Amino acid sequence: MARYGIVVDLDRCVGCMTCVLSCKEENLTRPGVWWNQILQVESEAQDRIVYVRYACMHCDEPPCMAACPNEAIYRRPDGVVLVDQNKCAGVQACVEACPYDVIVMTPDAEYFPEEGGFLPAGEEALAPYRQHQPGKASMCTLCYQRIDVGRQPACVEGCPSKAMTFVDLDDHAISEDPSVLRSQPMDTDVNSKPKVTYVFPERLGDEIKKKVRENPYMLGG
Amino acid sequence: MSKFEPAGDSVDYLGQAEAAMSEVAEEYGYTFCDGCNEVPFCGIRFVHRGGVVTKVEPWPGFPAGPICSKGYATLQRLYNPDRLKFPLRRTQPKGAREPGFTRISWEEAYDTIVGHLLRIKEQYGPQAVFFYVGDPKEPRAAVQRLATTYGSANYGCESSTACRRAAQLAELLTYGFPTLGSLPSAETKVALVWGTNPAYSGQPYMCHGALADAKQRGVKFIVVDPRNTPMVGTLADIHLAPRPGTDAALAAGMMRVIFSEGLEDQDFCANWIHGIDELRSYVDGFSLERVEQLTGVPAASVEAAARLFAGERPGCLMTGSQGTTHNRNATNNHRAILMVPAVCGYIDVPGGIQKPTNPLEGMGGVWADGPPVFSGRETLLGLREQRLDRDEFPAWAELLFEVETNHLVEWAREGKIKAFLGWGLNTMIWAQTSEYQKAIESLEFSMAVDYFYRPWSHDFVDLVLPAAMNFERKAPFAVHGRTVYGRTPVPPQGECREDWQIALEIGDRLGYEDTFFGGDVEAACDDILKLWNLDYETLRNNIEIGITVPAQRPEAVRKHEKGLNRPDGKPGFPTPTAKIEAFSTVLDKHGYRALPEHQEPMAISEEYPLVLLSGSRLPYITHSKWREDAPWLLELQKEPFVDIHPEDARTRGLAYGDPVTVRSAWGEIRVRAKPTIMMPRGVVGLMHGWAGANVNELIPRDFDPISGYPPFKETPCEVLKTDEDAGEQKGVRADG
Repeated sequence: MARYGIVVDLDRCVGCMTCVLSCKEENLTRPGVWWNQILQVESEAQDRIVYVRYACMHCDEPPCMAACPNEAIYRRPDGVVLVDQNKCAGVQACVEACPYDVIVMTPDAEYFPEEGGFLPAGEEALAPYRQHQPGKASMCTLCYQRIDVGRQPACVEGCPSKAMTFVDLDDHAISEDPSVLRSQPMDTDVNSKPKVTYVFPERLGDEIKKKVRENPYMLGG
Repeated sequence: MSKFEPAGDSVDYLGQAEAAMSEVAEEYGYTFCDGCNEVPFCGIRFVHRGGVVTKVEPWPGFPAGPICSKGYATLQRLYNPDRLKFPLRRTQPKGAREPGFTRISWEEAYDTIVGHLLRIKEQYGPQAVFFYVGDPKEPRAAVQRLATTYGSANYGCESSTACRRAAQLAELLTYGFPTLGSLPSAETKVALVWGTNPAYSGQPYMCHGALADAKQRGVKFIVVDPRNTPMVGTLADIHLAPRPGTDAALAAGMMRVIFSEGLEDQDFCANWIHGIDELRSYVDGFSLERVEQLTGVPAASVEAAARLFAGERPGCLMTGSQGTTHNRNATNNHRAILMVPAVCGYIDVPGGIQKPTNPLEGMGGVWADGPPVFSGRETLLGLREQRLDRDEFPAWAELLFEVETNHLVEWAREGKIKAFLGWGLNTMIWAQTSEYQKAIESLEFSMAVDYFYRPWSHDFVDLVLPAAMNFERKAPFAVHGRTVYGRTPVPPQGECREDWQIALEIGDRLGYEDTFFGGDVEAACDDILKLWNLDYETLRNNIEIGITVPAQRPEAVRKHEKGLNRPDGKPGFPTPTAKIEAFSTVLDKHGYRALPEHQEPMAISEEYPLVLLSGSRLPYITHSKWREDAPWLLELQKEPFVDIHPEDARTRGLAYGDPVTVRSAWGEIRVRAKPTIMMPRGVVGLMHGWAGANVNELIPRDFDPISGYPPFKETPCEVLKTDEDAGEQKGVRADG
């Protein structure tokens, strides 16, 4: 069985935001919801700005899943962690439990409310993965709909810098690849075995991890 | 590393049957992105159902791409309910607080335009009409054809206002051919990246993936940029951060090291550089100590960069379209940069600056401008004596066919122009924007073609016409190298028409039915495509792979040695002396200093101790567009920020998000502070194109005498902490 993850090479990421928008376009999340973020982390000491692609880590032992009283969060056999929109009751226990702070509640807002949705054909004509019910938990789905037809997640496939590698960690050729072995997860208090890991720039790993924990904010301002 | 293997390329998006989908079949369509106004464009393949676009993605195998954040956002822009869908005419007089635009028919719009064009031609002559193409560049060929058929030499574009042309002028004066340099090739040992950040502005060239690959295979990088850009962070072995506007001094210092250590290509210098002795003599005055004093770059870094670039042969150069020319020494700063690889002999050699051997026949320059035979370039050159920029910028007027637009204010005031026809007009491109708004407002007639109503430009014109967007356009098709691609548009919304159709229909109604193909866009494209024995139908039949026109001669390097580099077939470069001109004979002829000399930038003072950079981009925003156009992007940054070094912020008591006033001797705006090490100490940066906080109002109309470019990246300013409720931002009118 496959066990999917992403290795992010921070020495190649330039913060161009293509992944942020390719995710938005693919999944049509509602206003204010950015499953895929770029954090801008600055090291004044080393005079280096590092851009960090940041989203659901698709943990092997996801605290969100354990926390949900309605068993609305599940892990597929291939490791993708998803929210069942029908079971989610908006309790928000997952939001609290997530050590990476990447789960949000879908808001009521729409981009073009007077148009009744986003596309002229109407939301009802959209694929299920592009529909987001207000009040439900929402996070990166690793683009399961693309994985299921043999494609990579939109963020990975569209990256102009080739900073991300979509990996099957059950494939030994991959799990023992030097860049996978060298990659590390972001720091948390619990070891949830995240499957999104990072290759950190030399001598900057600890500082980046610390700053991402302190103040993860989206690049923009 | 064995990457994740997709189940196969044959699995495509259409394969995803969605039970909930309507019965109308999904189809692929193909178009290009106009998101950053780059040409060649990046390719978009989209999915549509009954003409409704539901999905965009990179066009597989297309030479430019993958698409960036802006490309994905074209989907949301397309269905933005705020877009213009009908022609509009103002009902209130110019200068009224509200222009009172009202819907009219295309018939009425064309009757109005043609009526004014015929009247003005009769009353003042055709030169009194200025034709302009801003953003996107796509309408250029059709609008040039309209201008020259009508009889006006006065055609200009955003490139001849603030973007590419000043650097291009430097290239033509120096090398005789235009070049932004080249990506590192397999032979390249060292890359000199000077004043450009393609991570943010050059996605169409797939720059960063290619550059990161080059880095991994051992290419050394020297990045010259006052800012600590992602290019610096991810690539630079040596980062040189000169004080803005001092590039000529830095280049002179590097060349002095190269000459004094005998690292130059002595044969190339002796045989192919005009004025090499004068250049040596000039740069001899730039000791490392003096260069450090002038540029702020440590002497050891200048020396190391010069040794690396000239020592690890060959080296390539990458420059930007305007990063180095937004100052009052624009042309000579850029000329000095160009001389660094020249003295190393890195011109038209493998691994150096590449010059194409086989540009597509009949193009006569970049594709964005259209083939000269279609665009009426010969007619335009025949009208050279009537160009409005001829006296002020004679070297420019000799080498570039587009008119330099920065004196529009004076031309309007002096009655030299009476009407302005603009496609993609954005008044915020000009320094002291309000003067240009008033100039356009003062004309007898003006019109603009656009996607959205943009008050800072359209409040000042008589007519606003709705343009079809990229998914709805057929013209222009795309040319990449020798490969030609068409598009398969969906029908436009409302009464939108594509730019080319509007230009063609105006020409048609002026009485030139044959010249404008009765307004038929595809017939106009076919008129160009017949240059290569092609037509649009053939492009459609080969939509995804395009048609490659075979080259007629083998690829060659060192073309200057072989007589392959000049129209007359003689050896050398296409300059008056047939050599690369360190000493420019054209500048000399027109009374300018002929060497690429340093000039001291505007002095900072106690009152204005910081240097202001206007015009740097965010990766997901180009100019003023893309904010309201696509709410996804506006959401990423809702208001303007001034980037300031953390130390400069601390001394002013500023934290992230604090309201500040940015003030120069010419104006002030209110924005928010963003302390960041992107900026060096003493330099602040502010993205242009915010209508309520237009940074270009802080820039004086004080121009480089050769190119006419204003000091967008040179002007002294101060950043002051302000109260949150210091009052409303100014409106779109500077005096409003």
